[in-house]
Amino acid sequence: MKQDAFVARHQAEWDAFERWLDARAASPRRARRRRGEWDGLADEDVPSHYRRLCQQQALARRRGYSPQVTARLQALMQRGHNVLYRPAPTPWRHALRFLLADFPRLVRAQRGCLWASLALFGLPLLLMFVLIQQWPELAYGVMSPQQLAQVEDMYDPARLAARMTRESQTDMQMFGYYIWNNVSIGFRTFASGLLAGVGTIFVLIFNGLFIGTVAGHLQAIGHGGPFWRFVVGHSAPELTAIVIAGAGGLRLGLALVAPGQLRRIDALVRAGRDGGRLCVGILAMLVFAAFVEAFWSSTVAMPDPIRFGVGGGLWLLTGLWMWRGGRGAADAR
Amino acid sequence: MLDTVREVHTPEGVALRLPAAGPVPRALAWLIDLAIRAALLMAISIVLGLLGRFGSGLYLIALFLVFWGYPVVFEALYSGQTPGKRALSLRVVSVDGAPIGWMASFIRNLMRTVDMLPFGYGAGLVASLADPWSRRLGDMVAGTLVIHAPRERTHVDAPAFAPCAPAVPLQAHEQVAVVAFAERAHALTGERQQELADIVAPLTGARGEAGVRRLLGVANWLLGRRA
Repeated sequence: MKQDAFVARHQAEWDAFERWLDARAASPRRARRRRGEWDGLADEDVPSHYRRLCQQQALARRRGYSPQVTARLQALMQRGHNVLYRPAPTPWRHALRFLLADFPRLVRAQRGCLWASLALFGLPLLLMFVLIQQWPELAYGVMSPQQLAQVEDMYDPARLAARMTRESQTDMQMFGYYIWNNVSIGFRTFASGLLAGVGTIFVLIFNGLFIGTVAGHLQAIGHGGPFWRFVVGHSAPELTAIVIAGAGGLRLGLALVAPGQLRRIDALVRAGRDGGRLCVGILAMLVFAAFVEAFWSSTVAMPDPIRFGVGGGLWLLTGLWMWRGGRGAADAR
Repeated sequence: MLDTVREVHTPEGVALRLPAAGPVPRALAWLIDLAIRAALLMAISIVLGLLGRFGSGLYLIALFLVFWGYPVVFEALYSGQTPGKRALSLRVVSVDGAPIGWMASFIRNLMRTVDMLPFGYGAGLVASLADPWSRRLGDMVAGTLVIHAPRERTHVDAPAFAPCAPAVPLQAHEQVAVVAFAERAHALTGERQQELADIVAPLTGARGEAGVRRLLGVANWLLGRRA
């Protein structure tokens, strides 16, 4: 077939497809709303039109039609491809299901890495805490005297009275600080797993040592009361989130070091996708923890039983959530 | 490393050509984004500075959103382009040429943490020089690719002339050159048109004014216009 005959026969089809792309492809939502006003190509016919277009483009190339025709078809095809193969938008109502079911399920799927991460974080923490009870001067081997003095000052029982008058303005400031600082640490713990896991291992051990030292030191010098009262509330979501971020990072490092039967790049992509979803959950947990830390943990007037009750309750809930969440659902793993 | 174009075959069996963007335009785009983000934070801090400590809390939340959220939101909502990428006509797509979604964008931006090591995107630079499609580590993990995506220019049709068949059959790239000449003719002076047409005098068999007319005629014939 001559080129001009080919173009004349299909021109109308291409124009219709282009008109549809211009008018309706940008936003499915707007397209749905204006369904009535549209009189061009019907949405349900678009995929078949797109496939015809691809076939015509291949034909045009094969027959050596002028570059202008093939270029136009190529451009139309590219736009059609972008529309047909774009990822479906996630409905907002899925967010709740993700948090309640998919996220704990995903965490449980990383069982091995999760235990490893817990060990890397928890063992140094416990070790430092126990050792410092025995030999208090050990704390000065991990942190500088200035840092320790600052920590002591923060949890000094004598300053509790001053804390009573802390304004709500400061709470907001601390809320912002915890979000910026803690979530960034969580994300970095995961991402640095790409350095063959070394980054994640370092962050986990370092944080374990640091937190263990602070807790051990404060306990040893008798400032334990205010410290435990402060951290009991937000410790559950915060520490769990760090361990989960560590698990995601270890998984990423493992994909790089030991991809198993997959290509290394495929193992990385898979670990990255799971890790990204873990990070969404970690974001939610850490924002919640920041909220508790800024607005609840800092209230001084609360009697101890309530304070420790809420803290214990949060630990219980977090544990239950991770252990049972998403079990029994139709597509449960 | 020399051929940076990735050819992807779609399920329909036709090839998509994805011209990968190298480190330099990407770094420039990143700098533009950095400037925009800095300006944004500056403006926010001026407003929130009036609110004292309450404001500084809000500022830290804004810092968090701008730092981690800015590239993700733009890439996911504006077809893979942050303002900086748009300025340099770059676009992030997934390796199979499809537009990227929230998750892929989130992952590739999380991984900047590693690409930035040890300083100034060193790891990212090494990775993108070693990779055939200039991907940094984050792109590899997220399964994405940054490509050149020039805006579509407004198309000007070649001027209509009496079509005439070329004396010898032309190859595809020669056809492209002739058609491109015809489409750009309106932007060229008469002298320049003649100068260019004279290069292919053996094809048209004429020089000067007549050569230009003959060449435009050939272009019309190639475009499939028949008198």
